Amino acid sequence: MGLQSNGLSLEVVGREISGRPVPGKPRRPAGPFLLGLPALLLSSLLLVPIVITVVAAFRTPDGSFGFGNFAVMGDRAALHAVGNSLAWVGVALALVVVGFLLALLSYRLPGLTSFLQPALVIPFAVSVLVSGATFRLIFDPAPEHGTVTAVFTKLFGSSPVWLGPGLFWLVLVSAFGWTWLGYVVSLFRAGLDAIPDDVSRTIAAEGVTGWRRLRALELPMLRPITGVVTLTLVIAAVRVFDLVLIVVPGPMQRDADVLGLNWWRATSAGDDTGRTAALGVVLFAIVAAVAVIGVRGLRRRRWAMPVSVVKPDPSLRRPKPSRRVRRTGWVVGFLVSLFWILPAVVLVATALHSPRQAGLRGWWSTDGLGFSSFTAAANAGLLRALLSTVLISAIATAVLLVIAVPTAYLVAWGGLPTWLGRVVMSAFVVLAVTPVQMYAAPLRDAIGAAGLAGSRVALALVHAAAGLPFAVLLLRSAFASAPPALVAEALQGSARQSAVLATVQRTYRPALVAVAVLEFALVWNDFIVGFLISGAGTTPLSLVLWGEARQFSTSAGTVAAAAVVASVVPAVLLLTFWQTVVRGLTVGSKP
Amino acid sequence: MSPTSRRAFLGAAATLVLAGCSGTGDVLGLRRSVRIAVSWSSAELRAFHSVLDGLGPLDYPVEVVPLGDDISTAFGSRSTRRPDIVMLPQPGLVAQHLRDLESMPEDLADRGRARLWDELLVHDGTTYGLPFKTAHKSAVWYRPSVFKQVGVEPPKLWSDWLNVNRSLSQAGIRPLSLAAGDGWVLTDFLENILLGSSPSTYRALATAGRPLPSQQPEFAAALRLLGTMWSAPGTLAGGVERSLVQQFPDAIVEVFGHRRAAMVLASDFAEPVVHSFAADPSDIGLFTFPPISAGTAAPVVVGGDVMVLPRPTTDNAKDLVRRLAAPAAVDPWIATGGFLADGRTTGYSPELTRLAEQLVAPGTSLQFDLSDRLGPLGDINGLWRVLTDFLVRIGDRGSELVPDAVEHALDELEKVEG
Repeated sequence: MGLQSNGLSLEVVGREISGRPVPGKPRRPAGPFLLGLPALLLSSLLLVPIVITVVAAFRTPDGSFGFGNFAVMGDRAALHAVGNSLAWVGVALALVVVGFLLALLSYRLPGLTSFLQPALVIPFAVSVLVSGATFRLIFDPAPEHGTVTAVFTKLFGSSPVWLGPGLFWLVLVSAFGWTWLGYVVSLFRAGLDAIPDDVSRTIAAEGVTGWRRLRALELPMLRPITGVVTLTLVIAAVRVFDLVLIVVPGPMQRDADVLGLNWWRATSAGDDTGRTAALGVVLFAIVAAVAVIGVRGLRRRRWAMPVSVVKPDPSLRRPKPSRRVRRTGWVVGFLVSLFWILPAVVLVATALHSPRQAGLRGWWSTDGLGFSSFTAAANAGLLRALLSTVLISAIATAVLLVIAVPTAYLVAWGGLPTWLGRVVMSAFVVLAVTPVQMYAAPLRDAIGAAGLAGSRVALALVHAAAGLPFAVLLLRSAFASAPPALVAEALQGSARQSAVLATVQRTYRPALVAVAVLEFALVWNDFIVGFLISGAGTTPLSLVLWGEARQFSTSAGTVAAAAVVASVVPAVLLLTFWQTVVRGLTVGSKP
Repeated sequence: MSPTSRRAFLGAAATLVLAGCSGTGDVLGLRRSVRIAVSWSSAELRAFHSVLDGLGPLDYPVEVVPLGDDISTAFGSRSTRRPDIVMLPQPGLVAQHLRDLESMPEDLADRGRARLWDELLVHDGTTYGLPFKTAHKSAVWYRPSVFKQVGVEPPKLWSDWLNVNRSLSQAGIRPLSLAAGDGWVLTDFLENILLGSSPSTYRALATAGRPLPSQQPEFAAALRLLGTMWSAPGTLAGGVERSLVQQFPDAIVEVFGHRRAAMVLASDFAEPVVHSFAADPSDIGLFTFPPISAGTAAPVVVGGDVMVLPRPTTDNAKDLVRRLAAPAAVDPWIATGGFLADGRTTGYSPELTRLAEQLVAPGTSLQFDLSDRLGPLGDINGLWRVLTDFLVRIGDRGSELVPDAVEHALDELEKVEG
């Protein structure tokens, strides 16, 4: 290309410009950074107490700093609790494996899913407290009353005491597995479904089958999802607290002690704050150490599932399985679903008996059917608790969304310097796995000192703060997984931020829905935050349920009725939005 | 829609919205309500609500805060939203919290009380609490039909009781249903024996500044007596494992609902459970804990909940205490059953009337629940745990194991004493 003027011939050298056209550093606008301010403020609700706890853990009674407080770990009870917590992590990892295999089975046996899906979602929707109560009902030691005991007595003439020493572990692990397996299977299944057909065809054409196919195709493709699933389950396992409280009868609770409970007992017994803080720090260290393995996928900017931009040609879908395979799938699916939904049936059937009959006979008995247990539950302050829970969950969800969306946008596309982005992400990962014991004690004191103990708004804010890290991580992944071309276009022009936001809104609804639905359900079902942080009087549903369950089997009817009422909202919510939630969690959304 | 009905509709809607707002304000904690912290749950909580409902219209909202076993933390928070009234099940704590407590209104402070309460609630001439609910913890509920079947009578002495157990288990009936899932049931058992065998030791432990039960030979002797009963093979319904997973209502259902045992040590407040789960409502009997040896007084261990006012208090809170202290206020709970009021002997069921009369009878060996006065030594990490281990070591396994188990229990207790 040339230019001629006044007898002068100029020629533009046809070389690409490399390097900066203007010397110096680019000026970044400071505006977007303000988007992170609310998140910083909300997170300091947790960060400040965490710092206080850490300082307390390292400050010895004489005022100097050191590891003196960690001598508490030499305590036999504390060591035992640590061992149990680690065992729970093992349970979580085993559950991930089982869930993966089940997902693989349902992938290979289509037809299974149609029945299995709702059966798997319902346990995930109900709170840990409810599933614990249900399994305690099922394993009740009286043969007239406990399902498993009745079956064993019928078959063998006698039955082990399932809630007794040693055997209570079975009940605990069943309840935990029942709650979480559906989540694991659904996520893995979504991941498997998102594997592009051409890839699996190629692999199949090359004759790679069995183990080799698993290692060459499914495992690497599912790595990001495995990260999310492992992270969620490990956090859930280390946070096991209410499950032990409700399932294990008093005398065995020491055997079942986990670190979180040990901390709580030490705190309520008025132990030295330094020592309890040290317990909290140890608990946190365990979670963090194990979770780091799980979040390796999250660290990558493009951890999310590949997004299929072009709709696949329907004629090229996976070949339809034979009729025999489909029929087997249906039968197996139906039976598994029936078995899986049984605890929910036990709960509802128990609730439909009068308190007397529910305490005396099993859920299968036909005497004393009616709604009197619901009346009894209503008399125990259930309705007020319901209102209270609606308020807390709604406020927490609203606050969370308002703060998490701009923060996630800032982290994903706000032009943060790389190092800062990394710091922020690491901070959120750390916060996401921080157990409530790390901040409960100082926060409780602070809320009390501010005269806000028992305030529902304060509790809702704590919930929002606790939910923020996970929400930001999820939303950032959704934002970051946008097809680069789309975002590159949006980034051009003066109105780039609003354009990006508009794109984001359109494209990432599933992630938003997932965050909203999960936060609402989590807060709705929460026990531990309400139990440890709120002062007396906020009385969300779970605390009422907990109060009723203190005299367990004679209150079975009332407890079951309260549990049913408490579970309706999250169950309906999650059943309605499950597909969207799974898509949001795996970020396999369509642009 | 006609104008009238529209107006009616709008009026109704406005009322609803207003009601909703005031309800929400209440839930958000915007109105200053009187907050009562209680340790009750389930049926007892419902009964307390019926007491509150029976007070008639009040000028202020009342919020009941069920704290369960955490009730002793009710004083801890310094906030303005701490409970205004605490129904304290451990009156022993009153002495430790005098600075956090308001004295009772004058007109209520001088009211007559059983002598027992005064030493717990009155300090330096000031009254810091009022008994609301009294518990008789030396009651044994049993099924008369099995006693008749085997030909035994309710025991008049501790040794009779052991014989009754033997006769029952020889006839193939498990005599005792034990709610070892609730630690306080175990401590109640021991307290009755200690109070029956050595009232002076009991008193000394209850009033000591730093109680050391493991150093008292009488305490060890009481443990041995307890061990004799629990270790006899065939005594415990369902064996030790089953006992460990049983809470106190479960133990009652075992006796009266499933009819797998003959008797259960349970307080007066077990009455509603007994009646609502009994398979045969006419087959319910009650005896009180027998004297340990001939010529000594029968032990009566007393528990209860006292009303205290955390400082600073409000006029509304005082007003509510005054209303709750009125003798007629607790009538709805008495009607439900399982409630004894201090000094009152009328209006109860026949069984509870007997217990109430024993509480006021002269010459009884009356003492307040020891474990509730020992602080941490008496609760879940102290005596509860030690006695649970004790039961696991000896239960149903024969009396030759008892001496070793007693030694072990005393060692464990010594560790807790620190």
